[in-house]
Amino acid sequence: MQLRLEKRAEPSRTMLYVTPLLAVGLTMILGAIIFSLMGFDGLGAVREIFLTPLTNSLKWQDLAVKAAPLIIIGVGLSIGYRANVWNIGAEGQYIIGGLAATGVALATINMTGWWILPLMGLAGILGGMAYVAVPAFLRVRLKVNEILTTLMLTYVSVNILNYLVFGPWKSARSFGQPVTDRFTLDQTLPYIIPGTIVQAGAPIAIIVAIIAWFAMSKSVFGFQIRTVGTAPMAARYGGFSANQTIWLALLIGGGLAGLAGMLEVAGPFGRMVPQFPNNYGFTAIIVAFLGRLNPLGVILAGIVLAITFVGGEVAQTTIGLPNAAVGIFQAMMLFLLLASDILVRYKFKLVSPQKLERIA
Amino acid sequence: MNIDLTLAIIVTLVSASTPILLAALGELVVEKSGVLNLGVEGMMLTGAVVGFAVTFTTGNPWVGILAAAFAGVAASMIFAFLTLSLSSNQVATGLALTIFGAGFSALFGQPYTGKPIELFKSIFPAELAAHPVFKVIFGYSPLVYFSLIMVVLVWWFLQKSRAGLILRAVGESDNSAHSIGYSVIGVRYGAVAFGGAMAGIAGSCFPLILTPQWVEGLTSGRGWIALALVVFAAWKPFRLLAGAYLFGLIATMELYAKAAGGPFRILPSEVWASLPYLATILVLVLISLRRTGHTSAPACLGKPFIPST
Repeated sequence: MQLRLEKRAEPSRTMLYVTPLLAVGLTMILGAIIFSLMGFDGLGAVREIFLTPLTNSLKWQDLAVKAAPLIIIGVGLSIGYRANVWNIGAEGQYIIGGLAATGVALATINMTGWWILPLMGLAGILGGMAYVAVPAFLRVRLKVNEILTTLMLTYVSVNILNYLVFGPWKSARSFGQPVTDRFTLDQTLPYIIPGTIVQAGAPIAIIVAIIAWFAMSKSVFGFQIRTVGTAPMAARYGGFSANQTIWLALLIGGGLAGLAGMLEVAGPFGRMVPQFPNNYGFTAIIVAFLGRLNPLGVILAGIVLAITFVGGEVAQTTIGLPNAAVGIFQAMMLFLLLASDILVRYKFKLVSPQKLERIA
Repeated sequence: MNIDLTLAIIVTLVSASTPILLAALGELVVEKSGVLNLGVEGMMLTGAVVGFAVTFTTGNPWVGILAAAFAGVAASMIFAFLTLSLSSNQVATGLALTIFGAGFSALFGQPYTGKPIELFKSIFPAELAAHPVFKVIFGYSPLVYFSLIMVVLVWWFLQKSRAGLILRAVGESDNSAHSIGYSVIGVRYGAVAFGGAMAGIAGSCFPLILTPQWVEGLTSGRGWIALALVVFAAWKPFRLLAGAYLFGLIATMELYAKAAGGPFRILPSEVWASLPYLATILVLVLISLRRTGHTSAPACLGKPFIPST
């Protein structure tokens, strides 16, 4: 008897939905084994990281707070990846969006009005779009690989953040600490569920995902994105401009990342600090893939990864697992998802020796 | 500018360029075989932390470098298995490897943070290595000389050897190589392993030549710059050498700007810190402008191998 891989007639839809679950499950098993081998409490690590955030109701609000930016950025990236446009610099666009919103906040710090928050939101979106415009232009005009340009700009954005926060934007009231002034009430996101820390970011994330799902599956724009991504030649025949698609894909990714940046700085942070970048832009890449590049899937994937973040904090306090371990679990999820991808296109078949002879 | 300063700049420049040169050489071979491995940064971080940890524990930098190379190979094998045996998306898998390498190195390096090791100094006698003038030639760590030898070896391998020809064939036309009877997957596994070893050794340069301690994220994006350099060099080893040293010059300027002050002070230090990354973008733009229409990238770069029989 031999185990063979046989190509399916067409990609399996069930596997498309099952493989992310498979990936998460395998991560838990494999992670427990590997961490036990490394000398940590493997089972405890998996329990604390994956299960406790779900069972401990106090942690649910943390999940909502952490999942919101992941979902928003993830949706933006998933649209781009569908079009085969690889925006890896979402972290940089997130930072610049946050900085743009901070700029508006600092300029209006002594004013009041309902219009301040939407203006900050607009600034965040435009900031993220402006930051991705350079890689977009270089890709469309000069065919410069957007993976490298967006990534390089991410490192630059951290330097811009440091310059502003240590320099011109440093608060006069901060005793020398490199932080900006605290945002006023008009500049901070409202709490959606009273008594919790859940702010407007969470429902906005859901709304963004639903709109994106609708656009991607029901609109011509979504069709354009998907066609350019899977069959560029056919897309050209169909009259879709590849350049326009690349611009849109990158601008949407950058704009949503910038929006997430604004929601974070006006929400959980309340001011701009050097610790603002917390790798959401990179984790969102995993979220996009785990969600199978589908906005609704991204919602679930965002929650899964938020679970690992919250779980990581829990594990740090309860069993002393270093926070860096969370990154390994997240990368493992992506590895296993990519590995199990093959099950979508191929299936395992047990071939008996007689059949083998007949084929040969 | 006096002679002392020039010599000091050259010495720093060479050391700063070496890790990028090593990583880029490895990736050059990988890409020549048709595989795009974006996980260079992750493999470098893995090599850096393992190289540091082993050197710290054994006190022997040679063993540390060997361990770093092994670690790089091990990391690259995860990528190789996924992309070559399971035909997964190379871009996504490479990214996953980078994220994994970052997480692994952060976790593994935790007990070693803040502990110092000895720099891997030149093995030439002190009269030459510390000589005010000759140190420009003899004062470097063995890793530097290794990198220069590897440039020649890689060039010779690719251009003059039969094995290199097979590797290039696999990268340019995998189906033709397959029909002649060569194992495309096997050759690519070998290439990816080589790239992993080089990236691992490149990572070990950071604690052994540049800053003799471990900090999370020690490589700060140099792996990505190495990727850009391979494109800049149009997949030619000697151009890669020039590009790596050009980059080293820019990185060195950042260090001297911080220390020298004076005319360098007009720009905030964050601008100097951004210079390597902005220069990389500029370099990518320049090569795109230079190329008239055709590209010198290996024809099968990034495409999974599916035998057409």
